[in-house]
Amino acid sequence: MVIGCEDVWREISNYLEGDLDPAVKHAMEEHFAQCRHCEAVLDGMRNVIELYGDEKMFSLTADFYPRLRRRLAVHVEERKGSARPWFFSLAATGALAASVLLAGLHQGAIPGQRSVMSQPARRLPQGLVAVVDEGKKFHAPGCPFMHGKYRMVTPEEALREGYTPCTRCMYEALRTAGRMTPEFGEEEVASSAAAAEQ
Amino acid sequence: MPETLPKEDGSEVGVTDFARLDPGHEREVALIERIQRGEGELFYELIQPYEKRVFVMAFTILRNEADAEDVAQEAFLKAFKHLSQFRAESRFSTWLIQVAINEARMWQRKRHREIMKPIEDSENEDGTYTPHDFADWREIPSEALERKEIRDKLIAALNSLATKYREVFVLRDVQHMSIEETSEVLGISVGAVKTRLLRARMMLRDLLSPGFENVLTSTSQIPKGKRPWS
Repeated sequence: MVIGCEDVWREISNYLEGDLDPAVKHAMEEHFAQCRHCEAVLDGMRNVIELYGDEKMFSLTADFYPRLRRRLAVHVEERKGSARPWFFSLAATGALAASVLLAGLHQGAIPGQRSVMSQPARRLPQGLVAVVDEGKKFHAPGCPFMHGKYRMVTPEEALREGYTPCTRCMYEALRTAGRMTPEFGEEEVASSAAAAEQ
Repeated sequence: MPETLPKEDGSEVGVTDFARLDPGHEREVALIERIQRGEGELFYELIQPYEKRVFVMAFTILRNEADAEDVAQEAFLKAFKHLSQFRAESRFSTWLIQVAINEARMWQRKRHREIMKPIEDSENEDGTYTPHDFADWREIPSEALERKEIRDKLIAALNSLATKYREVFVLRDVQHMSIEETSEVLGISVGAVKTRLLRARMMLRDLLSPGFENVLTSTSQIPKGKRPWS
């Protein structure tokens, strides 16, 4: 099967999704090998997806969480109050106020990173992952975001060598991974630095 | 990426089944039941993984951080008050993002605000999008995002797209929702999601390609990867 540039542009997004008939995928790969323009479009689109998909792209301000909690507190307490004696509510309100205060003090030093997208990864995928010597991320085998010759290593080895997880293929793997492992220390530092800059 | 997951008997399951298979989903459903029985403080635990996602979704529509924070707070409050309307066959995250989108759209209608005119796509969605630029990109280091000016540039490019493209792009490529979840959240077909996603990615690539900063310069004269990242 031979396809032209316009066919490639129409399917290029599906190619990166891995959502193509094998024959079309093969034809596109042959086209990319010969067409510098389409290869440039592919690289650019891949970079766009990686950049915007990075957890550092968006961050919450340090006081987002205390403000949200204050906004919700009255309503949460009301519901709790409907099922508990009043003195439990009073005690909980005090505890809440103390925790908000402590959170505020804590965030004066290091901004809180609370959402799942801003937390450092705590889980690793099962099995081996792929790394490229010139690259900085580790991938699931077959990830369309991986360039060049790769070698297979364990996730722990990849981390030790300084690789970070690909935000695309590893997102699904991490979501379904079962076991907990130490945090990715460098990522945490990077996230905190990015948030502190805000 | 397959839109369905294989079952043990060889048949396939859709998004709704996937929500039931997800162990996190069961935990969330249990939390919701306890909240409804009066343990309101568990709501903080329920929403904690989604705080940033709700804010980003509101920001995607409103393009203003202060408004997005107000809307995110309203969305969480509305979700808390209407938790009984959540149906366990869906993912809680999907429902919550839908609440946030509705809240942001209502806010926008109330304010009648258009801070910047987005790039409207003059082409019919079915037409082929032709790239405007073929400059090469080197692999972009993730560390570039630690520079605020780079993030600002990316956000400005995103904000210049029409809302329909921003929504799809952010759900799929920022929030990492599947194509089917994106379709469910926005109430549009899977085909429409794919088409808008293609155009959003293409437009962003054109906007951010190295030759963008000076359209009069031939992209072939720009050394690879020199702008805007180096």
